[in-house]
Amino acid sequence: MTLDWSVVWDNRWRLIAGAEMTVILTATTMALALPGGLLLALLRLSHVHLVRSSTTGFVEFFRATPLILQIYWIFYVLPAAFDIRLSEFVTALLGLSLNVSSFNSETFRAGILSIRPGQWNAALALGMTKPQVLRKIILPQATLRVLPALASTWVSLFKDTSLVSIIAVADLSYVSLKIRSETYRVLEVLTAMGALYCLMGYPQAKLVDWMHRRFKVVE
Amino acid sequence: MIAKRKTKSRPRIGSGTAPILSFEGVVKRYGPLEALAGVSFQVHRGEVVCLIGPSGSGKSTLLRCANALETIDGGRVVLEGVEVHDRRTDARKLRRRMGMVFQNFELFPHLTVLRNVAVGPTTVLGMPQRQAAERATELLRKVGLADKAAHYPASLSGGQQQRVAIARALAMQPDVMLFDEPTSALDPETIGEVLSVMKRLADEGMTMVVVTHEMDFAKRVGNWIVVFDHGKVVEQGPPQQVFDEPTVQRTRDFLSHLGWHGESLAAADLLVQPSSTDP
Amino acid sequence: MDIDISPLIENWQFILTGLGFTLALSALSIALGAAIGLVGGVLRTYGGKLLDSAIGLYVDVVRSIPVLAILVWTYFAFPLVIGESLTPFSGGVLALGVHLGAYITETIRAGLTSIRPGQMRAALALGMSRFEAIRTIILPQALIRMLPPLGSLIVIAVKDSAIASVIAVPELLRQSQVLAGKTFRPFEIYTAAMLIYFLICYPTARTIDRVYRRLGVLGAS
Repeated sequence: MTLDWSVVWDNRWRLIAGAEMTVILTATTMALALPGGLLLALLRLSHVHLVRSSTTGFVEFFRATPLILQIYWIFYVLPAAFDIRLSEFVTALLGLSLNVSSFNSETFRAGILSIRPGQWNAALALGMTKPQVLRKIILPQATLRVLPALASTWVSLFKDTSLVSIIAVADLSYVSLKIRSETYRVLEVLTAMGALYCLMGYPQAKLVDWMHRRFKVVE
Repeated sequence: MIAKRKTKSRPRIGSGTAPILSFEGVVKRYGPLEALAGVSFQVHRGEVVCLIGPSGSGKSTLLRCANALETIDGGRVVLEGVEVHDRRTDARKLRRRMGMVFQNFELFPHLTVLRNVAVGPTTVLGMPQRQAAERATELLRKVGLADKAAHYPASLSGGQQQRVAIARALAMQPDVMLFDEPTSALDPETIGEVLSVMKRLADEGMTMVVVTHEMDFAKRVGNWIVVFDHGKVVEQGPPQQVFDEPTVQRTRDFLSHLGWHGESLAAADLLVQPSSTDP
Repeated sequence: MDIDISPLIENWQFILTGLGFTLALSALSIALGAAIGLVGGVLRTYGGKLLDSAIGLYVDVVRSIPVLAILVWTYFAFPLVIGESLTPFSGGVLALGVHLGAYITETIRAGLTSIRPGQMRAALALGMSRFEAIRTIILPQALIRMLPPLGSLIVIAVKDSAIASVIAVPELLRQSQVLAGKTFRPFEIYTAAMLIYFLICYPTARTIDRVYRRLGVLGAS
């Protein structure tokens, strides 16, 4: 078996463009899924039973089904059954954001619930309204606690963006698989793809480990 | 009231024979800290040796060195002619002969009380389950907890857990029992039940090394008292000498710091009262 | 919009085959991952510095690469390395198992190191060897304590098995794609597939939660 790594170098700009798309997808999805997750978390703490249970159902459904199938579903079903046509990129963002919002909502909910009830009582006793307590007392405390979990979700998301290659969004996976089929240098191209992911993902994973140690809750 | 033990005029138990366990100039360092700075004393068969002294003076460390849970940096520990820290010595074989009771009980939370007591014989000695269960039941009866056999440790009080821990150590039929502050983690009301189990064990002739802050126990049950300070033995002798006529200022300081003024009846009563441990 | 479930009814065996592959793929990759994770976690914790860093490297590398990349590499590139081709199914089991193994390794290591050292001392003091102590005393407690994260990993394994559709393992998602292409009823078929995954994953997660609530106390030393 002879290896020819020049194929990787020759296609470096395409690979870099793919990596850029991966980063853009990750960042944009998280930017949407942070408010999305918070909204879902607050809806799940609502006093209206119907709101609470339907949000819970939504979240549990997204958490208990494969992301890849969710992406397929949006990609094929929306146009065929509802005549809604979205670009591949928007489809990808929609699928990723809904999925990550669901996971984030669990993180936020756990963070909010982890604040002792005494904090609520103390703030309410000062005459604050409930939204004020939430905004000024609970959320600032919860933020620190949820940071490590959000960071873990970020790393998972970074890797999960590879799944949008199945609907031809030109991320790192899509570009690599395309170069592979053009050049037939399977081993070189796929190894380079893994190495590039590793190069980007490794520092993130280490950062998350550090955050888990740094922000470990001690009560 | 309370009969004084008649050890004053008697020679030390087993003093004519070779010691079962002896510490000879044991040194243990943690980095720059010298936890044990040359500790020597002997334990004879049938003796209850109590190690007393301020916290952090090295008593517990010494106990862990005794059964090779810690390595040592100097001196030697000898169990009946076998050097504990010799590289050729099988530490596991030695540990079977020394039962150990820990301050925090260290019961195994995923095993029932019965299995906690039986796990040593089945795992280490390869004893059949049935036989080990019989032995465990017997020992649980002895510490007054036969009715708790099927419970898990989490549902027991601290005192009960420590009695199970004693039974667990006895299940290996050890020659020597090592007690590492067995009552320090207990609520005051359960200390007595553990001490009375230990006293009964002593009365049966078990050789015991006890690290303790219970001075009444040390004085009444101990045959030989070793006083530690800063990793050294500052004084050792029979309880009458150490408690009533200490020869060293350090010992006097330590005892008066504890509020020891000769007799103290409150805790001693716990020892002689018939306890809840009787089946 | 009209809903027509007849393609589902007519092709139920085809879908059932997919479900069978999904379950087999999940079960085997969980078994492989558990074997890797048990050995890896124990060796990383008790095996000395060299093994710790070697296993640590495996864990960190796998954790930074997407499952999709591991799957395509294992199926397309790995055969070129070993000079032997893999079936999609065996490639899928290998890739998913090695991927899952890294996460299980980390979880088991976290569990083992969370057991306080006194438990090991107590086991050694009874005369147990380190191996006996780990096997009978430390590991069971660690597994009980780590039941919730291990449970989520099982659910993740089932969900990740769907990604094996990209290497044409005829599992549930792959079969659904084929059927959707054939019948032009993507709504009915993908929705049905979604429900089937949900019916596997959701009860699994709930069951593990329930088991942990009953057993959790046994892992609290």
